[in-house]
Amino acid sequence: MNLPELAARWMHALTSTAYIPLSHAEIEQALLDSLVELPESPESVANRLVSLHATGPDSLRATIEVLSPTFELPLLARLSSAYAQSMRMDAFDQQEQIKVAIVRAKQRVERTLKVSQARFQEVFASSALGIAITDFDGRCVEANDTLAEIVGLESGADFTERELIDFFHPEDAAALGAKYRQVRDGHVDRFRDQRKLIREDGEPVWVYLAVSLLRDADGEPTHHVTMVEDISELHLLQRSLDHQLLHDSLTGLSNRQHFVTQVERRHASDQITLYHLGLDAFSVVNNGLGHETGDKLLKIVGSRLGKLAGEKKAALARIGGDEFAMMTISDNVTTTIEEIQDALAEPTFVDDHGIALSASIGVVDRPPAFATANELMRCANAALRQAKARGKRQWALHDPHDDARRRGKYALAASMPGAWEHGELEIVYAPVHDLETREVLGAVARLHWDDLSHNDTMALADSTGLSLPIGRWLLREACAQAARWVEEFGDRAPTLHIALGALQSRDEDLVADVKRALDETGLPPERLRIALDIASVLAGDDNAVVLHDSGIVTALDGFHGGHDELAVLTEVTVRAVITRAVAPTPDSPLRQAMRDLIATVHSFGVRFGVDEVHTLEEAEHWRSVGADAVIGLLPALSADEVTELLTTAASPPPAVS
Amino acid sequence: MSEQVSWVPEGVDTGKPSAARLYDYLLGGGHNFAADRTLAEKFLQAQPNARTIARLNRAFLRRAVLFMMDNGIRQFLDLGSGIPTVGNVHEIAQKADPEAHVVYVDFEEVAVAHSQLILENDPRAEIIQEDMTKPRDVLKAADESGLLDFAQPVGVLTVGVFHFVPPEADPKAIVAAYRDAVPAGSYLAFSQFTQDLQPKEMAGVVEVMKKSQNPMFPRTKSEIEGLFDGFDVLEPGIVPLPLWRPEGTNTDDPDKAGIYAAVGRKV
Repeated sequence: MNLPELAARWMHALTSTAYIPLSHAEIEQALLDSLVELPESPESVANRLVSLHATGPDSLRATIEVLSPTFELPLLARLSSAYAQSMRMDAFDQQEQIKVAIVRAKQRVERTLKVSQARFQEVFASSALGIAITDFDGRCVEANDTLAEIVGLESGADFTERELIDFFHPEDAAALGAKYRQVRDGHVDRFRDQRKLIREDGEPVWVYLAVSLLRDADGEPTHHVTMVEDISELHLLQRSLDHQLLHDSLTGLSNRQHFVTQVERRHASDQITLYHLGLDAFSVVNNGLGHETGDKLLKIVGSRLGKLAGEKKAALARIGGDEFAMMTISDNVTTTIEEIQDALAEPTFVDDHGIALSASIGVVDRPPAFATANELMRCANAALRQAKARGKRQWALHDPHDDARRRGKYALAASMPGAWEHGELEIVYAPVHDLETREVLGAVARLHWDDLSHNDTMALADSTGLSLPIGRWLLREACAQAARWVEEFGDRAPTLHIALGALQSRDEDLVADVKRALDETGLPPERLRIALDIASVLAGDDNAVVLHDSGIVTALDGFHGGHDELAVLTEVTVRAVITRAVAPTPDSPLRQAMRDLIATVHSFGVRFGVDEVHTLEEAEHWRSVGADAVIGLLPALSADEVTELLTTAASPPPAVS
Repeated sequence: MSEQVSWVPEGVDTGKPSAARLYDYLLGGGHNFAADRTLAEKFLQAQPNARTIARLNRAFLRRAVLFMMDNGIRQFLDLGSGIPTVGNVHEIAQKADPEAHVVYVDFEEVAVAHSQLILENDPRAEIIQEDMTKPRDVLKAADESGLLDFAQPVGVLTVGVFHFVPPEADPKAIVAAYRDAVPAGSYLAFSQFTQDLQPKEMAGVVEVMKKSQNPMFPRTKSEIEGLFDGFDVLEPGIVPLPLWRPEGTNTDDPDKAGIYAAVGRKV
């Protein structure tokens, strides 16, 4: 057999025993070279076979089978020996190679591990969370400095061999121990909890715990890892939020809510005095200089009062726009009031405006223990209203009786709209008597409701905003009634007197209302007398003038005899003034003064009437000093009663003894 | 951790057989450990033709690479390249054209380290350690290697790899991701075990490998067809290993080849 043919057979035999990554032609050529070389150097042929990767389990057998008829056994034996040796060496080379590969792989893994360990260490060391790794006996294996800081140790190393449980609050230890066991036993993956730790110095610190497991490479749990977040700051933040809830943002003082709780607490144990301050004319500042200036001023007031409160160990709050409240352990009220006014009086320069302030102050001093804080606040407020009513820089002590009265009134006022809607308000007619002739000059139409006098009812109506509609209703109804009387009784019908409330007296629509009432009811204008609230005229309202010009006879109600009032009488044409005063008895030192006053009024051509004169004796006193007429000698009657009275023939003059 | 070999550095677990080293052993290589060889023996019991299949698969790789080279491909992405054994892609390609570029991809530590060792002095070949079932990571790393120009056609090689990809990893989407990353005119060489040939032996192999780190998932011809979405499957189609463009006369029995092979060209 020629060598190329042998090479081809060899190639086919070999390639089915091993993968030789060459083309068949290349393999054939390599084997042909080998056949040439074989007799001289079977060792190099063996090496070539191995390097060709003709190294399958059957490669040598296939080779011997192909070559044995052509080559001698000793040569093939040498080839086999060399092949085995070469395979050994190749195997060693490969093992060496993969060893290096493994070393490298391991190094890389270790490097990665080192990096990740370094990362872990970095996280561990620089974490804002305290971290402790504990074994299942609870001993710390490792802890970071942050945790040390939280519990007041020098460094994480101080945890070595200590038990984390040492830092738990004794009351928590059992519950936490159970939770740690639950994590270890796999009942839960982790737990989170808010707990108090006890620092080395014994101080408690609020923390947020997160506890989970560390596992080894086989997934077996080996340690607990406890993350500890110091939430004291969170507590502080919480407190700061509380602060915002309890404090006024502008002045930083307590707000009403906070103040009330302070009052509540203090009132339970001590005698207190409560001051409710309202800055006088603050709205003037706000409206005139702007809200910004107003705000600055409030801050200044807040800080001055704050200084005073600090000195007096008093609680202070801003409880409304320009209102402050101060609570002291019971002290000398007048001294404190002075101190408050002094603190405010020092001129304040705000945006180049020098402003001196004062306050009106309502005071509740040593209230009874059963009064609630909210009641005290309301009482102080009521006292402040009283003080404000007296003018600037005034103060008023809360009067419990007065307060009860006021409260009754407010309750009544609240029910008035309903009462009016249900027709419970009634118009009654009180006779006006001429003191000289003792004749009935006319009838004053008045409101009657639930035992309240007309004036009280009107005042109530004023406070509810009902006075205008009620006043108009009264005007129209009374005019209609008077017109019926005129129709029925002619000249014997009483002249209708109507006294208007403060609001209606200065109502722009008053004149139109009066005219409409007259037009619609047909009451002759000369049969109507309108008494206006003198305050409205003093304030410059011209309803009195216009009514007079319209042919309506007017009077001014609420006359006190002041200079300004007298001056008005010289300017506005009215028929009469109406006053309410104590009757000038003969022994009264004011008797002469009253007489002079009435004389003066008369000198202006104005008659002098007195309301709320209930006895003949009083009427006589008034007559003796020159008064012209009185109201109240006879009780007011309903319209029907008046009609009845007029019907019984000639109405006799009231019996005056 | 049985049979820890003394020369193996501490920390490398040679007790767990790897498919890459099993393949090396079947090919007659020495880069393997007792555990790999034990598994290989079991493999051989289930599929006595395993050595031949390994050889045929390796030979297909060579023919596929050379086929692509003939069609102008000069850059290769070898997915799941394993232990560098006999006839590696860069050796085959660079023998035909020294300018050919190859990027190997494998995830196994030792295979990667070994490949780095082999490729140390080859500036045109590199191994990247990525999971080939995560195309996005692979493509990013391959791009960063600077060896591949994704504007030019690429030869993507998944030879004897996809039978390790479970159905739940969505093999179709994996192939599609690589397909979408390369331009038209790129090639895909693909081979994997099938139950269509010698189903009994295949079932045995699946059983053997079930307990290893690399369980196997044979696929039918039609399943494999599905993976070639977007490719023209070139002649002779999806065929047993020895039938794919054999060199000279084929003497191996295609019915015992165990593995289907095919090459597609991206449309």
